[in-house]
Amino acid sequence: MHTSPITTWDGAAAYFTFADKPAVLYVILAAAVIVTFGTIIMAGIHEIEAFKKIEGKD
Amino acid sequence: MQGQIAELTKSSGMLGTVDLEIFYWWCTAIMICIHAGFLAYEMGASRAKNVLASGVKNILAFAFIVPTFFFFGWWIYLAFPSGIIPGESGAAGLPWAAEMGPNLSDNASGVFWAAFVLFAATTASIFSGAVIERIRVSAFVVLAILLGSVAWILAASWGWHPDGWLLKDWGYHDVGCAGLIHVVAGFFALGVLLNLGPRIGKFNADGTANDLLPHNVPMVLIGLMLIIVGFFGFLGACLIFNPGAQWTNIYGQPATLSSYAFNTLMCFSGGIIGAWATTRDPFWMMPGALAGIFVAAAGLDVWYPPLAFLLGIVGGVIIKPGNDFLVRMGIDDSVGAVSVHGFSGILGVMAVGVLASGYPNPGDAPATSFMGQLVGLIVMLLCGFVSGYLGSLALKTAGVLRVPDKVQEIGLDLAEIPCKAYPEAVGSKSATLVPAE
Repeated sequence: MHTSPITTWDGAAAYFTFADKPAVLYVILAAAVIVTFGTIIMAGIHEIEAFKKIEGKD
Repeated sequence: MQGQIAELTKSSGMLGTVDLEIFYWWCTAIMICIHAGFLAYEMGASRAKNVLASGVKNILAFAFIVPTFFFFGWWIYLAFPSGIIPGESGAAGLPWAAEMGPNLSDNASGVFWAAFVLFAATTASIFSGAVIERIRVSAFVVLAILLGSVAWILAASWGWHPDGWLLKDWGYHDVGCAGLIHVVAGFFALGVLLNLGPRIGKFNADGTANDLLPHNVPMVLIGLMLIIVGFFGFLGACLIFNPGAQWTNIYGQPATLSSYAFNTLMCFSGGIIGAWATTRDPFWMMPGALAGIFVAAAGLDVWYPPLAFLLGIVGGVIIKPGNDFLVRMGIDDSVGAVSVHGFSGILGVMAVGVLASGYPNPGDAPATSFMGQLVGLIVMLLCGFVSGYLGSLALKTAGVLRVPDKVQEIGLDLAEIPCKAYPEAVGSKSATLVPAE
């Protein structure tokens, strides 16, 4: 996949992948945000279920 | 000749720029020792049945602060120096900005961002120890993000940014973050503790307290010494490296790394001596070193070193009585974080107001003063306590803040961790419950 925003190092500034494609940056950023907060939500659900199992062993 | 001079000038300038990067890179690396230290400290302070759960919680604080500080933490710092309305200066901190990634025209943003990430993760680690053995991991992560990537960095935008309103309007001076990090994190922890409640077995029905003994005090001591190592990176990163010119502190006042060297070591030793003289207890001696640094932190650039030593002694002396006071109030702070960071931080901020007024600030900002420090302190207290209290109240209301009592009794490791800390140990599940003195 061709992701370079530059064709020469002369005068290059921001050169990270997709730096010249804002729409792609937004998609990648959104995915990173979803993964970050999604794992917290999943952990919360897991804890609720795990604790219920232990409390139900009485 | 002219061409050679131009070439040498360019080369010298680039060398300075690279030196800047190198300095903050290694400060950041050293700061990771803070987290290694807190990891050992919290695991050692836990009972054996909770040791890995405490460790996992601490590691996750670091892990989640990094991306969230990229998503919005750095933007908050750059956008809010004038108050609660975001300014255009925040554009460079937006997560899609050209400065927020590899960029040959910007050698500074990445290393500054990294250093601030470690500051943010430090606040989360401070809070982390206070709530071990009964907070849900998911709730803890949410609160750690709220503290590290929102509350603290907003306070830093106001009181540490060169255009922050606490500096511009009040001359607030807190070079080593006594208020910005330690008061904010300490009182955030206090706000959470009020909603979280004590560990099962901490208090008896008549209100008297039990000591829930740490399972590994040597690990606690090694952890605390690692934190001290990390704070040398932390405090170094609080200075501004100006290639080709004198250092300045974060407010733009001239400073030297030597001033930090004198005073950090002097207050560090004062803190240990103060805590040792009054408790003889190694569990409090190394927190005494931390408290000693925090009491001197706000004015680390200006103290006469023996004065820093005396301030350190004050820090070492007050932390145990401070924690005892909280216990009498029915608050179970598992590692004394509120006292070590919050109470020492208060003294640190006000020490500048009482003992270091009159230092001029750049531009039109007023000189350091008692009132400037008092206003800054109130802001830090509110930033920490209100965000911690309200954030934890929301989680408590949703029923997802506290680990159920039965799970606490059997141990969090058994409930949440798919491996054992000490699989060959005999009796590792037994409670270490003894009456307090």
